[in-house]
Amino acid sequence: MNKQCKALIAGLCMSVLPSVAIADKPETVTVGFLNLVNAQLVTKSLGLVQKEMPGVEIKYIKVGGGGDMLRAIAGDQIDFGGLGNPPAAIGVTRGLPIQGIMVLNMLDYVEALAVRTSAGIKSLKDLKGKTIAAPFGSTTHYLLLNALADEGIDPASMKIIDLRPNDIALAWSRGDIDAAWFWEPALGRVLEDDANLFNTSGLMAARGYPTWDVGVVMNEFAEKYPDYVTKFLKAECAGIDYWLNNPAETAVIIAKELGLDLDDATRMMKGTEMVPCAKQLTAQYIGTSEKDGGFVDTLVSTGNFLYEQKRLPAAASVEKMSNFIRPEYLESIVK
Amino acid sequence: MTFRRWLATLTQMVQRPENRRFIISSCSVLMMFGAWVFVTKTGLANPLFLPGPEAIYLAFVDALFEGYQGSTLLEHVGTSLFRILSAFFLACLVGIPLGVAMGMSKTAHAIFNPFIEFYRPLPPLGLYTLLVMWLGIGESSKLALLFLAGLPGIIIATVQAVKDINPTYVLATKSLGASRMELIREVYLPGAGPTILTGMRISLGFVYTVLVAAEIVAATAGIGWMIWDAAKFLLSDIVIMGLIILGLTGIALDVIMRLIGFALMPWTRATRQFSKS
Repeated sequence: MNKQCKALIAGLCMSVLPSVAIADKPETVTVGFLNLVNAQLVTKSLGLVQKEMPGVEIKYIKVGGGGDMLRAIAGDQIDFGGLGNPPAAIGVTRGLPIQGIMVLNMLDYVEALAVRTSAGIKSLKDLKGKTIAAPFGSTTHYLLLNALADEGIDPASMKIIDLRPNDIALAWSRGDIDAAWFWEPALGRVLEDDANLFNTSGLMAARGYPTWDVGVVMNEFAEKYPDYVTKFLKAECAGIDYWLNNPAETAVIIAKELGLDLDDATRMMKGTEMVPCAKQLTAQYIGTSEKDGGFVDTLVSTGNFLYEQKRLPAAASVEKMSNFIRPEYLESIVK
Repeated sequence: MTFRRWLATLTQMVQRPENRRFIISSCSVLMMFGAWVFVTKTGLANPLFLPGPEAIYLAFVDALFEGYQGSTLLEHVGTSLFRILSAFFLACLVGIPLGVAMGMSKTAHAIFNPFIEFYRPLPPLGLYTLLVMWLGIGESSKLALLFLAGLPGIIIATVQAVKDINPTYVLATKSLGASRMELIREVYLPGAGPTILTGMRISLGFVYTVLVAAEIVAATAGIGWMIWDAAKFLLSDIVIMGLIILGLTGIALDVIMRLIGFALMPWTRATRQFSKS
């Protein structure tokens, strides 16, 4: 074996060893956050995760929607992420290595079905023959199809197209679509136009279709650095408390982070419900490690719905969904 | 006896160079397939990312008869091929005359070249955002993107082909009193034909590469859309099946184009014979 070869091997060992030796601290933590209005923006803006994890490089990646987030998870590009209930049901059923550790937000009128005022849409039946947009695979696509199914309307009687929120706003201003179920901040741009709200995700929650975003962590990260999962949760809980206690300051932060007017930010905040961490461990949300909460039920019904839509190869398994939701990390900091 | 003769003919066939290339290609494809079967059967590959061949086959049969999200596989393929071919046809219709003009006249070259050189390296998705703003989410923006992807390859090949024509032919034809149109018809087009065809083949490849990008926005059918949609739901069997079909249709179109080339330009057959090793 010549010298160069030895040097190369030594170099390789040195580059591998430190990461094995100091396994109690990750070098970087990558947080994929969804492009929507919730307390993660506060946590990010105030640097709360960094405060909990001194000496660790924190990277934030903005992810456009659930589909992109699933790809980021499948490609192992993030440590923490956020998923709406449909992508979460997809990811869990397909066996992605993730666990749900907290409630990021409950969706109210921050996500809504906007209809073109001049198109004269008075009921869902009026959507027949019209073009409706929703980001496929997202919470709003799920609600749109459920809302239609509840009134017995065949989705094939209209043209439902797949557009991402920013593209919806673009298509709306061009007059290419008559209705769309999507979310802020793109929703706000459309509402300034010839549009009004027809249905909201909050109304659908009252009808038994709650939609929410759940914070997830990669299994590998959670096994390697369980302490850092709790550190992350502490930071996010502090962000949620800040949101609940300082609405005015929060609005300024949201406006800055998303490049919005203060009024818009305030309206969007009201359309999103933040759940204090202690309350998250109740039956309505993620429950406790002894007893599953409502999130598991929602995941199961979402999974079954997607299976009927042939978007999933198998029906949802209660066991899988229950194993996915891990309240124990949150329990360790709330108690 | 007959077996021996059969064996002899077989050996002879294998030894013929054109067959040998085919056999080597088949072997490399088979080995790739074998490696695929191996890594999926032994569990080396995560089935979520790389399902086995049988899963792809099942996805294919399912899409063929049951359809994927409202359209059968044939409808998806048909929609995409219609988009690809109409855009490509338009690109040829614009690109070849423009290329001939640019190759023949330095002024024409100076007028058009900056634009082509400028937009050619732009990423298709960046361009697409603008096209959607201008043309909307319907068919026209998709066709425009595919068209723009195919255009430069044809133009550049045509310009080069026209420039490469031996000036003696041009002078000889001119001295016989040929008009400009006759010159194009009798010298430039036949002389440049083979290179133009190569340009068209490369260009069709470029059209293919932007198909998924073109079908991301507001499509409800098309093989590119199917791949994009399935990826969102982590249906990797459908993604891979779609990619294989896309690849196979691409190869088929390429073969068809070469056959058309042979039919239109019989003299290229002779040069091919000589070039064979």
